Amino acid sequence: MIAAPAPGATWQHRHVLDVDVFSAADIDLVMRTADEMKEILARPIPKVPALRGTSVTIIFWEASTRTRVSFEVAAKNLSADVVNIAAGTSSVVKGESLVDTIRTVEALGADMIVMRHSVSGAPYLAAEVFGGPVLNGGDGWHGHPTQALLDLYTMRARLGDVAGRKVVILGDILHSRVARSNIWTLTAMGADLWLCGPTTLLRGFDAWATRWADGRAAPGHGRFTVTSDIDAALRDAEVVMALRLQRERMDAGLLPSLREYSARFGLTRERLAAARPDALVMHPGPMNEGVEIAADVAVLDRSVILDQVANGVAVRMALLYLLSGGHPEGMSGG
Amino acid sequence: MAEMRVGDTVERLDVERAWLVDPVAGREGPGEISVRGGRLESVSWLKGAAAKGVGPEGVLVLPGLLDIHVHLREPGNEDAETIATGLAAAAHGGFTSVAAMPNTTPAADDPAVFARVRAAAESSGSPVELLLHGAVTAGRAGERLAALGELADAGAVGFSDDGAPVKTPVLMRNALLYLGAIGLPVFEHAEDLGLTANAEGHEGVVSAILGLKGWPVAGEEAAVARDLALLAGVLPDAPGARLHVTHVSTAPALELVRRAKAAGLPVTCDVTPHHLAFTDEWLAGARRWSWEAVAGDGTVRDPWADRALVGRPFDTATKVNPPLRSADHAAAVLAALLDGTADAVATDHAPHTDVDKHVEFGIAANGISGVETALSVLLAAVAAGKLPLLRAVKALTTGPASVLGARPGRRGAPRGLVVGAAADLVVVDAGATWTVTAETLASRGKNSPLLGRELPGRVLLTVADGRLAYRDGES
Repeated sequence: MIAAPAPGATWQHRHVLDVDVFSAADIDLVMRTADEMKEILARPIPKVPALRGTSVTIIFWEASTRTRVSFEVAAKNLSADVVNIAAGTSSVVKGESLVDTIRTVEALGADMIVMRHSVSGAPYLAAEVFGGPVLNGGDGWHGHPTQALLDLYTMRARLGDVAGRKVVILGDILHSRVARSNIWTLTAMGADLWLCGPTTLLRGFDAWATRWADGRAAPGHGRFTVTSDIDAALRDAEVVMALRLQRERMDAGLLPSLREYSARFGLTRERLAAARPDALVMHPGPMNEGVEIAADVAVLDRSVILDQVANGVAVRMALLYLLSGGHPEGMSGG
Repeated sequence: MAEMRVGDTVERLDVERAWLVDPVAGREGPGEISVRGGRLESVSWLKGAAAKGVGPEGVLVLPGLLDIHVHLREPGNEDAETIATGLAAAAHGGFTSVAAMPNTTPAADDPAVFARVRAAAESSGSPVELLLHGAVTAGRAGERLAALGELADAGAVGFSDDGAPVKTPVLMRNALLYLGAIGLPVFEHAEDLGLTANAEGHEGVVSAILGLKGWPVAGEEAAVARDLALLAGVLPDAPGARLHVTHVSTAPALELVRRAKAAGLPVTCDVTPHHLAFTDEWLAGARRWSWEAVAGDGTVRDPWADRALVGRPFDTATKVNPPLRSADHAAAVLAALLDGTADAVATDHAPHTDVDKHVEFGIAANGISGVETALSVLLAAVAAGKLPLLRAVKALTTGPASVLGARPGRRGAPRGLVVGAAADLVVVDAGATWTVTAETLASRGKNSPLLGRELPGRVLLTVADGRLAYRDGES
């Protein structure tokens, strides 16, 4: 089901805000570019001058270590100048203007912005204001495009084409930007996608899966399946991705307790036995071992959780490179 | 008229060969009007050869429009709107009377605030009539009743804690009882706050996709059910009690109102142009009208598959409370207007500054600046064959006047083409367009998701109480 990339396919996107606007050919171009970055990463000195003189500003309004560091390593591997700004969540609440922050960063010479924000859609506002490319490192519940692309990259590295393969995303779908972005990429590439979790954490997704699918096969509109039946979801699965469950969900009355969640939806060896014997185990991190994933599952040979981390650098390098190449005028060097 | 200024008496005006609409008489057709000395001197209906070539797609003459739900922000937030700019915006939209909501700072929970805004209206020089709603509870806090009787004595046309519902049921009941004796309606913003905390958009497919916290349909239905139960309960003691549910946005809530009306309860409701014509897919970047977002079988179309996403997602101009609903609810809003369940169209004109709107979607203020685009949006529905012109005009004139009941605005005159009365009318060219821009909007609130869009229905002239309220610069 993977559409062959058009000969000489080129990158058309000014920003990476989400993957809903990516065609299968776009996704394939990212994958192939990431392959090249993997080769670079395998060298003794994994560094190329592609973004020399380009200033990449990384602004995180929400705490994160792995995504921020992954972007930083990726940018530095491409020889970009990296500026890190920890904006903190408090400034959102206090009403410190995102628009002012972006304008300030631009005046300070940023050529590209990588951002994470707790409010869905915030990168679209940044992209409206900023003169150069914006990469979304996660916004609210909405999107996490680089995560979805590195997840796909990881699956393809192990399985080849994902078309027709059963991929299960398990857990707190409602609050998950990882799940949302993965829906677009995995359905675009023809995977047999299943979303599984407690019904309180699936609200709206069945309507997304069924109401607009009605047999149309437009890219990004292949059916996916939504269920609370974990046994049905895991049966013959080839990929199982568990999502982090946050304690706030209990406080909000969405779940009775962590213990009950773990008993009903935790990914254990027993449950995983229903999947294909070689099924991949994934997690976008950070993990709550013993809650959504058992500690002994996370370290199985077929757990590719650390692959995800390593591939994240390659995929982010690919995206930074594609964005800079598509927009040489944004590369003036700051 | 070349030298005329806003506020001047319209000494002489003749509109020839236009399409007249008189919602009081229930009549529309080719005709001519003349104004002399600020009075509507004559209305003549053309027949035969004289009427040839005159149709509802050309120049229309309508009675001055009445908007029973606007926010004018003064006192307290004059950066967003003032009484003067709000009345100018109303006149640009064809409205000759507007009823301002009391959620100012301070809230209009005391006649002193009324006096202040009336003085601002007087000094603005605008002939647009400013009607005032009082708050139901002190400070709109939902704890104690506001000065209901004193506000009524000071001319309040209705009472509302709009922006929020009357929070506590027992105060809602007491307000209905107390105002029942006075004969004025409670204008309720129907929202069950327990279901809508931090909500960002209509709970449905679009909110699921965009990762926005959902505002469920049940949040409106539950609130309307509460209020109808309270209304039924007070009627034996207060037969004059009246409930008006404003900006109803969902099919189940409209159905509750429909049934309550059929059962004889004294309830009315209004709907907004945006809930009628815009949908939740606008949050994702679509800009097609609601009637273009449903398939032939009535199912909601997929704007992603349709490539209908033409604007940027998360435009805060689309953030409003209640939120833009899915196209099936918008169709229910239109159906309610057609069958009379909805008595009126009201704009909920909610101007905001860039400080409150040019921010992340989730923390942006709710509201659409809508008083200037309402008539055009309804004319778009008329042009699409979704709404008869006469119904649209009634929903902006006699309908809202009947909601106000005892104090229908414009000093009790019927909102028709009344020969001998002070001229109160709008001349609009349904065949001409105008483009919504920050410059063309007279309101300080530029928060319209229609910015940049060319709309049908260019208002050429608005005459309020015999005086010039608005005149198109190019006419």
